[in-house]
Amino acid sequence: MITFEGAAKHYPDGTVAVAGLDLTVESGRTTVFVGPSGSGKTTSLRMVNRMVEPTSGKVLVDGRDVRSQNPAQLRRSIGYVIQQAGLFPHRTVRDNIATVPLLLGRGRGRARARAAELMDLVGLEPSQAKRYPHQLSGGQQQRVGVARALAADPPVLLMDEPFSAVDPVVRTGLQDELLRLQAELRKTVVLVTHDIDEAVRVGDRIAVFRPGGELAQYDTPERLLTHPVDDFVESFIGYDRGVRRLAFFPANHLSLREDVVLDDQDTVERALNTVDTAGEPWALVVDQRRLPLGWVAADRLRREPSGVELGRLDLTAYGHTFDVERDSLRAALDAAVLSPAGRAVGVDGDGRVLGVVSQADLGGAIWSVSG
Amino acid sequence: MNAVWDWGSGIVDWAVANWSHPGDGERGVWPLLVEHARLAYVSILIGLALALPLGLACVRWTRLYPPVLTGVNVLYAVPSIALFFLMLPYTGFSDWTAIVPLALYTLVILLPNVVDGLRQVPEHVRQAAIAMGFGPMRRLLTVETPVALPVIIAGLRVASVATISMVSVASLVGLGGLGQLILSEGFRRQFDAPIVVGIVLTVLLAFATDALLVLTQRLLTPWARRDGRRGKRRHRATVPAGEATAADAGTDPTQTADSGNGARPWTS
Ligand SMILES: Nc1ncnc2c1ncn2[C@@H]1O[C@H](COP(=O)(O)OP(=O)(O)OP(=O)(O)O)[C@@H](O)[C@H]1O
Ligand SMILES: [Mg+2]
Repeated sequence: MITFEGAAKHYPDGTVAVAGLDLTVESGRTTVFVGPSGSGKTTSLRMVNRMVEPTSGKVLVDGRDVRSQNPAQLRRSIGYVIQQAGLFPHRTVRDNIATVPLLLGRGRGRARARAAELMDLVGLEPSQAKRYPHQLSGGQQQRVGVARALAADPPVLLMDEPFSAVDPVVRTGLQDELLRLQAELRKTVVLVTHDIDEAVRVGDRIAVFRPGGELAQYDTPERLLTHPVDDFVESFIGYDRGVRRLAFFPANHLSLREDVVLDDQDTVERALNTVDTAGEPWALVVDQRRLPLGWVAADRLRREPSGVELGRLDLTAYGHTFDVERDSLRAALDAAVLSPAGRAVGVDGDGRVLGVVSQADLGGAIWSVSG
Repeated sequence: MNAVWDWGSGIVDWAVANWSHPGDGERGVWPLLVEHARLAYVSILIGLALALPLGLACVRWTRLYPPVLTGVNVLYAVPSIALFFLMLPYTGFSDWTAIVPLALYTLVILLPNVVDGLRQVPEHVRQAAIAMGFGPMRRLLTVETPVALPVIIAGLRVASVATISMVSVASLVGLGGLGQLILSEGFRRQFDAPIVVGIVLTVLLAFATDALLVLTQRLLTPWARRDGRRGKRRHRATVPAGEATAADAGTDPTQTADSGNGARPWTS
């Protein structure tokens, strides 16, 4: 547990970086500090490992004032992931990761064995052990940064914008990795970001900072999105918070239509029958393994010869699908909005179609969870 | 054409005839070459041995640097000849008369490189080292100095060439290795073979030393071998901060931190 007790940082030039922070970070959870640039997130984070000393108030880790410990020793017991990874360019990946075990005086052999373990944990290939940092991609460098921070198995892990230097796709992948690692390791993680999406995604608790270094709100992601305390928080999390909130509701309660899912060997005639009976303007065509092929409109079917197999027609792209078991209402809604047919395709873990859901039906489901 | 050929072969003949004198180890071109190399290398090594700790100190205690740099630059402004003569009363005709001023010149050239090299260590690397729990001294020695090595060696290359050529001036006080061929023998005899041999051998020695340093750099900093972008810095190799960050950008695809208020496809 990390406790900030009225911790403040005033710089001699008059800047108030952090104005009296009172906050308790729970053990074994991920707490995210989020806020606009200059709101004191990094400063607060660095108070924990004494890279910044508060000018008043104090910071306790497990009840112990951090100032009672030698800074260098304290830091070896707290993992730190810095923006841009901050890898040592003159050391190989393996030796970068082994840094803290070596500082702690574990033998080189043991430190390297530990590095190999961690490379595996964060998803790096053993063949990359002897590379230098500049020979890695940005995403790989971030993984090395995380592995290095975890090498001495510290109970506390501080991360300052760990994923901001990589593209959105890689970032999402790294966030997934963090969630997986955290499910396994249960560290006390404090992560700084100014990306509210990232905060909602990885945080168990979120602290929103406002300019001037004040804490605006400290809550669970869901409460933050449903009950922002004031206009600042509301505008910071964005006006689409209603849509984001849907991320907390699973998609598996949606009722999917299976009747308008047709086989690519069915004929146009059979398809017309189906859509007319169902009263639906679109049907989804799937192949023999039930993988989606595309949409066909009822109007279009009427113009085709009745004996043709559906697989021979030019179909309308189905956009992206959602995984019924794993995805949220937000993913389903997104898929429906982006679909030319106005309908989302629900699939199982192997990508096989389970059914489709229209925007109208989604609207009903959203209505029922919003109450 | 023939005249040039005769002139050239005359010089080679002279060099061969005077290369060394069995029985008298003191005379000949070879002993002078050895003396030249000895004076230069000892000076360079002493200069390096002074520049490293002084540079580290200047980076550790930043307020030290401006006065030290000024002092060292003033020294550089003193003509080398004057320094050699100033040394004479204290060191006489020993090697030290040449070595002390030459080591100082090496120091002058090298110090800014050491300091700038250390300052160019990217801030995130420095911060990372602090966060990992390196103490200040350990950080300076095991992180910042190795990372600064390419810039330091670039400075050493400039300093060593300068020192090798400056050794000759010490022949005015009776030292100076190959310089003696140029000065004493050349003047006395109104004969250009010794001058040409002296110059050619000095240049060759400088080349060989430079090649040795390039090799050393390759061995010491295998991590810096990215398309030869580093280590080719000429002169007081202080590379502007802008370039240093550009070089980083090669390492880390930099901050395009889009702050994420665009709605992205979302999966929970
Ligand atoms: N050494 C310093 N001297 C004076 N002011 C400082 C110093 N370090 C930081 N500050 C100021 O303190 C405030 C908070 O800085 P901090 O780095 O904690 O912000 P941040 O929330 O991490 O911002 P960002 O998202 O841009 O990283 C800023 O206004 C900054 O300018
Ligand atoms: Mg910051």
